[in-house]
Amino acid sequence: MHATIQKPIEEIVNYIKPGEKVFVVGCNNCAWKCHSGGEEETTAMAERLNRRGVEVVGSTTPGQRGMSLCKLDHTRKVLREDYAEQIKKADSFLVLGCGQGVHTVIDATDGAMVHPGCDTIFGGETVSDTDINEYCSLCGECVIEFTGGLCPMTLCAKSLLNGPCGGAENGKCEVDSERDCGWILIYERLKQLGRLDLLEGYREPKNHAKWSRPRTLKVSPHEATFCSQAGKRTVSNQD
Amino acid sequence: MKLKELFDRGEFVISSEVGPVKGAIPRDPDFVPPCQQEAQHLNGSVHAINVTDNQSAVMKLGSLAASVRLKAKGYEPIYQITCRDRNRIALQSEILTAYSLGIDNMLLLTGDHTNLGDHKEAKPVFDLDSVQLVRIAAELQEGRDMAGNPLMFQPDMFIGAVVNPNFQPLDLQLIKMHKKVDAGAQFFQTQAVYDDRVVDEFIAKAEAFGRPIQLGVVVLKSPQMGAYMNRNVSGISVPQAWIEEIGAAAKGDRKKKAAEMTGRFIKKHKSKFQGVHIMPLGWTDIVPDILAHAEIAPPRPSAG
Repeated sequence: MHATIQKPIEEIVNYIKPGEKVFVVGCNNCAWKCHSGGEEETTAMAERLNRRGVEVVGSTTPGQRGMSLCKLDHTRKVLREDYAEQIKKADSFLVLGCGQGVHTVIDATDGAMVHPGCDTIFGGETVSDTDINEYCSLCGECVIEFTGGLCPMTLCAKSLLNGPCGGAENGKCEVDSERDCGWILIYERLKQLGRLDLLEGYREPKNHAKWSRPRTLKVSPHEATFCSQAGKRTVSNQD
Repeated sequence: MKLKELFDRGEFVISSEVGPVKGAIPRDPDFVPPCQQEAQHLNGSVHAINVTDNQSAVMKLGSLAASVRLKAKGYEPIYQITCRDRNRIALQSEILTAYSLGIDNMLLLTGDHTNLGDHKEAKPVFDLDSVQLVRIAAELQEGRDMAGNPLMFQPDMFIGAVVNPNFQPLDLQLIKMHKKVDAGAQFFQTQAVYDDRVVDEFIAKAEAFGRPIQLGVVVLKSPQMGAYMNRNVSGISVPQAWIEEIGAAAKGDRKKKAAEMTGRFIKKHKSKFQGVHIMPLGWTDIVPDILAHAEIAPPRPSAG
């Protein structure tokens, strides 16, 4: 999921020009889990903007809980069919969701003015109702087979691939004494699994071309093609 | 001169460390920058001088400029370069540049995180890690860059790396040291150690790698510094006995006391190492005294 956190209301209000009519769109999946743009927060945002003198012409979180705003065909259908009247009046859309959701609203409205209501902060695991943690950096070249499934790109502050720097103290990272050293986590896990052998041997530098942006993925039921500056990679999911 | 020559003939290699200035070196040919002033105290006491690379992520004059300046004045610099601020293109180019400007020894490090320094909002690069950097430096010396392109002329320097004996679990640090050896590290300097047991546990395992190791020591100037290091300096722990001993000395006597304590520690452990790396944190003037307490004969003066 894409973790998001709402921008301060003053910042959002500053985006909106005097007299600008705004339609608020939330996301009923990730932003709902983050309490940054679910049904409640979206309705509340409309009211908060109203109280600050912003004219809100409508609001919605398209679909049932679990439905992502970034599913373009669904979002487009909801906005055009269920909110056709309000949208006609809207000068702009405030999106309570991640950056993908913001772009989905651009696509769904054929290029309307949009305002981001959230900062998109990371891709994370929903560990519980209250905790969302980052375990993957979306780098395009997964190395975690050799690290017990724990990502050094993400869990090590320096994204080191061949082991820890010398900076850890009492198992904590030099950057923050509250934060675990990612490499010690990897070591302890592999030790527990009896697979410390995986730590031996040289790990090549990352191919950052696979991390170059923007990237695209073309999918079909049988194969997928990943495009980055590292080139096109097509993989079949069948024998 | 490559330190390799000294290690090869069995010399106990003594190095110390200076940090470049926060600022430029004035054009006035008579101006002596602070790192050169510090180096003057070390003349005749050490074989070589580490020049730090924006240490603790605090932005300063580049280590290469300061290294070249020291070399021109007759000192033997160990040019430090970290992975924090440069991608693989810049790192390789810097190594070629360093050799081209006369540098013979380099120490390749990961680098302290930007978060510890004075530009906390900087983008930390870490395109490579220190193991990869060592391998790439070794490949440059073989005449090719990391993309496999041939070099018209290859550099030829002595490649050093760092290891932290204080690291727990030690085995994890030794796995990395092993990788650095395989990648082409020719000598090691340890991070600062104060604890006898840490030294012994480390060297019992690390000597098997068969590379010269210099014991790293940081001069403990005051009990406050010891407490500060225990609180704030990553990867270093100062035992209470050290803190109490320096604290028992009157403030005016602390330089003398620090020289005695540091020298005593080096003396105790010098037979287990192939050299020592003394980090005096500005008190370069006590390095001769430290070596006297350690009963180490100084090398001949190299600079005027």
